[in-house]
Amino acid sequence: MIRSVKVLVSLGALLITPSLQAEPFENAAEAVEYRQNAFSMIRANFGVLAGMARNEIPFNADEAKTRAQAVYHLSYIPWQGFVGMGENAYEGTEALPGIWQNKADFNNKAEALRSAAKELVEATESGSMNTIRPKFMAVARSCQQCHEQYRD
Amino acid sequence: MQVRVWDGFIRGFHWLLLATFLGLWFTGGKIEHIDRHEQLGLFMLALLLTRIIWGFVGSESARFQHFLAGPKAIVEYLKAPREFQRFTHNPLGAWSVVALLTVLLAQVGTGLFTDDAIFYRGPLAHLASSDTLRLLTVYHKQIINFIWVLVILHVVAIVVYRLLGKNLVPAMIHGNQAGEGNQRPPVIRHGGWGYLLLAVNCIWIFYFLG
Repeated sequence: MIRSVKVLVSLGALLITPSLQAEPFENAAEAVEYRQNAFSMIRANFGVLAGMARNEIPFNADEAKTRAQAVYHLSYIPWQGFVGMGENAYEGTEALPGIWQNKADFNNKAEALRSAAKELVEATESGSMNTIRPKFMAVARSCQQCHEQYRD
Repeated sequence: MQVRVWDGFIRGFHWLLLATFLGLWFTGGKIEHIDRHEQLGLFMLALLLTRIIWGFVGSESARFQHFLAGPKAIVEYLKAPREFQRFTHNPLGAWSVVALLTVLLAQVGTGLFTDDAIFYRGPLAHLASSDTLRLLTVYHKQIINFIWVLVILHVVAIVVYRLLGKNLVPAMIHGNQAGEGNQRPPVIRHGGWGYLLLAVNCIWIFYFLG
């Protein structure tokens, strides 16, 4: 009796769990908002590094490190927002349908950002803008390469 | 008889505009050259504004009022190009000048309101909404095609004139053109005034937008 209850509970858990894991969003609008917010956080943090790299604000090694780490951690975040919800996933946004058509390539570009951001974090350990700047540009280029193909 | 047709500023402007344009084209769309692109763009804005002012106060041959002609003059010119004997742009070239100045100004103007969605915003981006920035950024990427069409037309026209026996390039270098007939040479203003104006425009443009 107890055994069969256990089996039933396990079966029930199996039935429930996948639907809990599949989608963190109620609808496409939530997914769009999620990823746009993530990109806007990346930009805000990256913007501080840009200001330092372009000599618009004074260089501060600790600040640069904090911002680079934020960019790196955030570089894992937006992609879950590109979920398969049909046209609602990109209509009225700058995301191009190609993202869903070439998901593997899109994921590679996301990975390119993560590895570039990781190198940026490592460069900030040096505390020298001359070491950071090329890595900063590499991150910017990885943004641009993805935008060129997948952002309207 | 040699007649002075282009003053020193017009000639310098012409070649500086070409060099600046090539520099802008090379640096355009390359995120690692964005700061250089912006500086060149601001310099081009100064060049264009100075040329427009020079078109009102400069040498006669450079004045819009002096060389702009209506459709009738264009048709007459096309019927008998050799009849045109004035020391300035011909009626068709005149509109090519206006078209080039217009598209270049549009390109520089939209450049001030760009947003690359990565880290760069144009010098006047803070004045516009994000929707406007998005639109003007798209325009900035498209207008370059119109510029290339006009530049190619310009070069093709130079080649065609050359084939027809008229070499227009030397006059844009040394400023003189062989005088034919007995028309009055244009009133030429010293090019130094043009460069002074350019310097003033550079100062305020780089001060406020640089």
